[in-house]
Amino acid sequence: MSDVIWELPAQEGMAVPGRIFASEALMELVLLEHASEQVANVAHLPGIKEASFAMPDIHWGYGFPIGGVAATAVDEGGVVSPGGVGFDICCGVRLLSSSFTEADFERRRESVMARLDRRIPRGVGKGSIADRRLLPDVLRRGAVAVVEAGYGSDRDLERCEENGMSIGADPSAMSDHAVARGSDQLGSLGAGNHFLEVQIVDQIVDGPAAAVFGLSEGMLVVMLHCGSRGLGHQTCTDQLKLMGPAMARHGITVPDRQLACVPVRSPEGEEYLGAMAASANFAWANRHVLAHAVREAFAGAFDLTVQDTGMDLVYDVAHNLAKIETHLVDGSPVELCVHRKGATRAFGPGHPDLPEDLRPVGQPVLLPGTMGTASWVLRGVAHNPAFDSAAHGAGRVMSRKRAKRQEQGSQVRDRLEARGISVRPRSVGLLSEEAPYAYKDVDEVAEVCSRAGLAAKVARLRPVGVVKG
Amino acid sequence: MPYRVLDHTADTGIEANAESPETLIRELAKGMFGILSPVDPCNVDRWVEVKVEASSLEDLVVDTLSELLYESEVEDLLFCDFHVTMAKGGRALTLAAGGVPVHSVEPSGPPIKAVTYHGLVVEQRETGWYGRVYFDV
Repeated sequence: MSDVIWELPAQEGMAVPGRIFASEALMELVLLEHASEQVANVAHLPGIKEASFAMPDIHWGYGFPIGGVAATAVDEGGVVSPGGVGFDICCGVRLLSSSFTEADFERRRESVMARLDRRIPRGVGKGSIADRRLLPDVLRRGAVAVVEAGYGSDRDLERCEENGMSIGADPSAMSDHAVARGSDQLGSLGAGNHFLEVQIVDQIVDGPAAAVFGLSEGMLVVMLHCGSRGLGHQTCTDQLKLMGPAMARHGITVPDRQLACVPVRSPEGEEYLGAMAASANFAWANRHVLAHAVREAFAGAFDLTVQDTGMDLVYDVAHNLAKIETHLVDGSPVELCVHRKGATRAFGPGHPDLPEDLRPVGQPVLLPGTMGTASWVLRGVAHNPAFDSAAHGAGRVMSRKRAKRQEQGSQVRDRLEARGISVRPRSVGLLSEEAPYAYKDVDEVAEVCSRAGLAAKVARLRPVGVVKG
Repeated sequence: MPYRVLDHTADTGIEANAESPETLIRELAKGMFGILSPVDPCNVDRWVEVKVEASSLEDLVVDTLSELLYESEVEDLLFCDFHVTMAKGGRALTLAAGGVPVHSVEPSGPPIKAVTYHGLVVEQRETGWYGRVYFDV
């Protein structure tokens, strides 16, 4: 359709075409695996509108591709699919600004990294920062509950998608198993591709937008990536199990069992959305508690109060959610269930759901790269062609097995350290699975986002410290 | 025959051949926890028992592995020994899983978030039973 938009024509069973945002080089990587087949499979979902979209960081997933966006018309039998959200419900990214510079970090590098290493629970098994007694309130009210418990401030909530509290949460729709798994994980990073990074604002592309976001060149920032932990994984597992028989009752068939779905307007659909929102509330609160621990670590390292660190929340945005939003379809407003599976919401300037100070420039879109390259801050733009969605990261290009064969974890660590990037892994051996070479070029993903009209570049961030599971 | 780890860009999978549904489920369970870290020798610290019923053997495999993930997380155990007893014509089972404390093991792979239905195969072939499962990691 253009040099960065590729269309898969609607074939048998597809209700809409597939549409992939990619450069020629990125498209070659898509064609090497089954991701385009998964884009086509998603196009079978009942009630899907316009297209089955794939963001520039698309790669092979399970059911949905990672980087998939699908919007279904709620009042036309449109479905909700837990597979379109994923097991890590409301996994997302949070970025904190600061009053520190790179020179400040160099003076206290060891102290900062040691404090983060000690303070951030991560890796396999139990370990949390917040008290398990907060959990019932967290499931109902998300980050609001932990702010009231002393983690962060009200101002933080204004800079969270959904103000850190998903509407419609129904903790009673969650299993005892899910609650048990979440009890000892509130304020924990997890493992795999989840991380905490100390970064430096390396390049400002859009000065006015950066100023509104509170970013300036040379500023130290902290990015963290995690989600709803075992509580979310269990909720998705439980709901998928229920949806098999429910799908048969609704006469729905899909080409991959992982795409199991039910009408949004059905008891099963409403139950899923209630459980999903409660899990999302856990994830908002989880990132909030971790961010508070980050502030305390920096305050301790620099002998300051938490307030004096200037570590304000730039934004917190999810990339694994299904949300009821109104968008124009064929020129008319339609209520849609927008699934973003490894895709970021990207509201453009003027959107009423944005806080007043962000409204002139659009929503911050956070695009984490790899621990050895860069990350990007983008902003939402008007006339986004994919229901206000953009990429969520660099996107894997290599399996974990292949990545481990290429280098040992200690080699990856040594290479990063030699480049001035402090690495504090829970497990050194696992570092190679997340090595920079296992991912696509994040600069190219950001460039395609910009050229395809998904989001505009604001600032580039480079890592100087990494905390991993 | 031991399980094999399958390549997947973002996640990971395993496949196994076995003589019976019981041994197939045992191998798949061993593979799922072996991705995180194969424990050898498996000097069991504690045992847990799970009982699962499902409408098909495929679902029984997914539900059993999911239940083991739950037990692993809440009990803080990495399982390495499995005893499976099938019932109700292969639609139910009792599984005793023995494990070691998670923190006693250095992980050599990513922890499993969940068991998916994507690319799931559980079937009897001329040579025995075959199973393939992909996990979200």
